[in-house]
Amino acid sequence: MIKGDNKANRIAKWLVSGPPLLFLLVFFVAPSLIMLFTSLRFPGEFGGLAPIAAPAGAVHGEYGLTLETYQFFFSDILYAEIFLKSFAVAAASTLICLIMAYPLALLIARSEKRFRNLMVLLVVLPFASNFLIRIYAWMIILGPESVFSHFINAVLGAFGVAPVTLLFSSFAVLVGMVYVHLPFMVLPLYTNLEKHDPALLDAAQDLGANAWQRFWRVTWPLSLPGVFSGSALVFIPVLGMFAVPDILGGTGDILIGNLIKDQFLGTRDWPFGSTLSIMLTLAVLAITGLAAWLARPAAIPEK
Amino acid sequence: MNVPGRSTALRALLAAVLLLAGCSSQQQNTAASSENVLHLFNWNNYIAPATVKRFEQSCNCKLAQDYYADNEEMLAKLAAGASGYDLIVPTGNAMDTLIRQDVLKPLDKSLLPNLKNINPAYLDGAFDPGNKYSVPYAYTLTLLGFNQEKMKELGLPTDTWAIIFEPKYLEKIKGRVTVLDSQRELMAAALMYLGYSVNDADEQHWQQARDLILRAKPYWAAFSNTSYVKELAVGNLWVAHGYSNDMFQAALDARKTGRKFSIGYSTPKEGAVLALDSMVLHQSGARPDLAHQFINFMLDGKNSAELTNLTGSGNPNMDALQFIRPEIADNKAIFPDRELLARLEMLQDLDRRQRRLLSRLWTEIKLRKL
Repeated sequence: MIKGDNKANRIAKWLVSGPPLLFLLVFFVAPSLIMLFTSLRFPGEFGGLAPIAAPAGAVHGEYGLTLETYQFFFSDILYAEIFLKSFAVAAASTLICLIMAYPLALLIARSEKRFRNLMVLLVVLPFASNFLIRIYAWMIILGPESVFSHFINAVLGAFGVAPVTLLFSSFAVLVGMVYVHLPFMVLPLYTNLEKHDPALLDAAQDLGANAWQRFWRVTWPLSLPGVFSGSALVFIPVLGMFAVPDILGGTGDILIGNLIKDQFLGTRDWPFGSTLSIMLTLAVLAITGLAAWLARPAAIPEK
Repeated sequence: MNVPGRSTALRALLAAVLLLAGCSSQQQNTAASSENVLHLFNWNNYIAPATVKRFEQSCNCKLAQDYYADNEEMLAKLAAGASGYDLIVPTGNAMDTLIRQDVLKPLDKSLLPNLKNINPAYLDGAFDPGNKYSVPYAYTLTLLGFNQEKMKELGLPTDTWAIIFEPKYLEKIKGRVTVLDSQRELMAAALMYLGYSVNDADEQHWQQARDLILRAKPYWAAFSNTSYVKELAVGNLWVAHGYSNDMFQAALDARKTGRKFSIGYSTPKEGAVLALDSMVLHQSGARPDLAHQFINFMLDGKNSAELTNLTGSGNPNMDALQFIRPEIADNKAIFPDRELLARLEMLQDLDRRQRRLLSRLWTEIKLRKL
């Protein structure tokens, strides 16, 4: 009996976890292995990859597998700089998203039930129009002749500050990144916050906690899982984003995503593009691991 | 239905799906081989709609087009397995790559009686001796476009690359200049300004060019491949490094919207890049018969002139000249005279090591300050 139960249990577990595992296998592990293999090949003369086996009568010896591309990656500090810069932009975007999204998520979670769904709908409404169109709209908003630019510069002028150009700058890139990814922070935060039991806050108040203490000692710690999943949903896509810096960035705004895109669409250097992608994946895995480790203490009270 | 948690999760999922759908590219070639369809892989806005209509009537078939904005993009898509195209319109260096890759079909010139219309100066080029695979379609020059009134007001020269590389000029137009976001084109401009050939692959010359670019970079607003057309036309930009057909468009837009300034463009005295686009038959095409019909149709002077009248592209077709609007035909930046023609160069493709090296220089250019 007990044995049979265990077996049924195991089957049920596999049935439940199977589809997501399969998904990861097909759409993450397999592509990563292909990418790893590609990063160890030689680039083809016209793009693509050099043949793995030397054709009959070949003069050059550049066939088979090589670590040359990784050597190239580590031979110049340049690529480490671009990784650092991308991580800094991703971290800044995540932090700004968190600061902007938290009050909004809290507001939605504490509103009356009948308004909540409408408010969530409003948060995701921008997805109804194409991502590129929304970014191009920012080009107009931030352009030097726009109302917004004139207003900002009039305010700055009143304080004696020289006029600034908003478009084609790191500032514009940050605005674009935050704008695009904000809903990804709001949704997990809201999902978390709306599950909080209001009785906890009442109890805290009865015990003499003021508004700040109620937030900092009760709401915030309970919301940490939402904060971490929201941060991951913002941080990781920002790391790989190339369209926003392409469109809104200035002469110095190149991120790791632009560099990778360039290897495939510009330089026709698949092995180097794959090497960069592998390094990025490793970095993201390291960060996710770190985040999971950081989130661990918050998970203990739920037991 | 009081399960708000689940409905939120559903909404989040829906949002994610919508975002993914929004990001995925729309390019998908459907190869319908047996139908009467000619598949053309062409540059954006590189054929007049009226021409398409007339061709479809004359051949009793449909013309299906996919577009690219960059030769590298076209090559990359083909390398990634895009197929089913009867005709492609690559620029010289990309055509060179396609020929050496051995993915083109040779032309049957008995089906192309109109080939006699092409100016011999544009035939028998280094990339395709004897035009075994290619027929010239149109060309553009990479040059400088500028706001004429502003240049006059500031007393700046417009016939030299110095305007985008020399700080003494750039000081006056800081933040009002863009250059092409293209490794080859920008390096070509810098190399020409330094007195080298655009195809010079000497690493030291490349480093000199990089330093020249880094010195000028703080004065540029951005690297831009497309948005400079609009920004020039509305007056946000005063100088742009770009393609002659784009400058033609910007000048037209500025005139049509009644701006107080006009957009001029000229070929720098140090030289410029000539991009000759040719029609070639791709191996994967199912209808070489229609493809030849199309090439011969486009070699007709009237059809060929329509493209120039629409986009301001240069035209290698001698029979077309009579149909081209005089203000375009007289423009030296579009129809270079013999002396100017001698200073134009076509880009050659780089080998894989040079490509990787140039890519690193380009990353330095983007990331670093001098």
